[in-house]
Amino acid sequence: MTHDDDFADLDRMLAALPLEEPPAGLRARIMTATVFRPEPAVRTWETWLVGTFVGLAAWLAWLLASAPNAGERFVDTTNRLIEAGGLNSITTVMWVGVGISAAWWISQLTFPSARRIRIR
Amino acid sequence: MVAALAVDPPLTAPVVDDQALIAATLAGRTEAFGELVTRYERAVYHLAVRTLRDRTEAEDAAQEAFFRAYRALATFRPGAKFSTWIFTICYRACCDRLAKRKRLSGDELPDRADPSAGPEALAERSDDAVRLHAAIDALPEKYRAVVTLYHLQGKQYEEIAAVLNLPLGTVKTHLFRAKEQLRKALSP
Repeated sequence: MTHDDDFADLDRMLAALPLEEPPAGLRARIMTATVFRPEPAVRTWETWLVGTFVGLAAWLAWLLASAPNAGERFVDTTNRLIEAGGLNSITTVMWVGVGISAAWWISQLTFPSARRIRIR
Repeated sequence: MVAALAVDPPLTAPVVDDQALIAATLAGRTEAFGELVTRYERAVYHLAVRTLRDRTEAEDAAQEAFFRAYRALATFRPGAKFSTWIFTICYRACCDRLAKRKRLSGDELPDRADPSAGPEALAERSDDAVRLHAAIDALPEKYRAVVTLYHLQGKQYEEIAAVLNLPLGTVKTHLFRAKEQLRKALSP
């Protein structure tokens, strides 16, 4: 007589035991969490990349800010850049403003498509 | 010119094996994974209910198991059994939850309130099934898992050992002791 014979009745009972009925919405929940799950807006590696750049930028900013006479040097450098770019002239600033404004308005224009869509 | 829709051939074969469904899922056919869910949802949920003894938590564990399986589907070893794989994932998810419970309560909670096992639900089942379910639930966790997988997978001890990550001999010993305890609990 084997152990299997000893437990024959119990085995029969186990085999006849019905499985638990899953709740009605379980399949839908699983499908929503898997195949119908929307792609994440940002991938993990993108988050890491942006985080690294932000960290580097913060570190550089801290280095610059903690340098001796940082405020004065910043103002001085800004003034020199403004002079070099000609931005100390009101006329230049006005024309740059007009250019940016025109570019923005042109980007907002829409044109009808030249191709007609044939509807069958 | 109207472009013809590229329609995949339907999965109409009466029995499509799990490997084919996995390949179809990896190829982007959502209905193939749906078929896998349909096939194993009940068994996975059953394993979770018996392991956790809590239907709400079991529902979450079953969902988590399918989610983990879906994400790792590309790593599924061809030739392996999907049932063994999904049961393994489900059992691990349940063990994680049991460990969390132990951390929170200091010990495994003996039983949880089971809202769906009310008098009406119990009346629908036969007496034997009710008594057997109660006896299985009263088993220690390690025996309960072996008996539940024995119920789900039949006498495939190697599969049970793979799911529980236990040596074959230990599985047989646990099963023998579990059956002894069940027989004792069911004897009048």
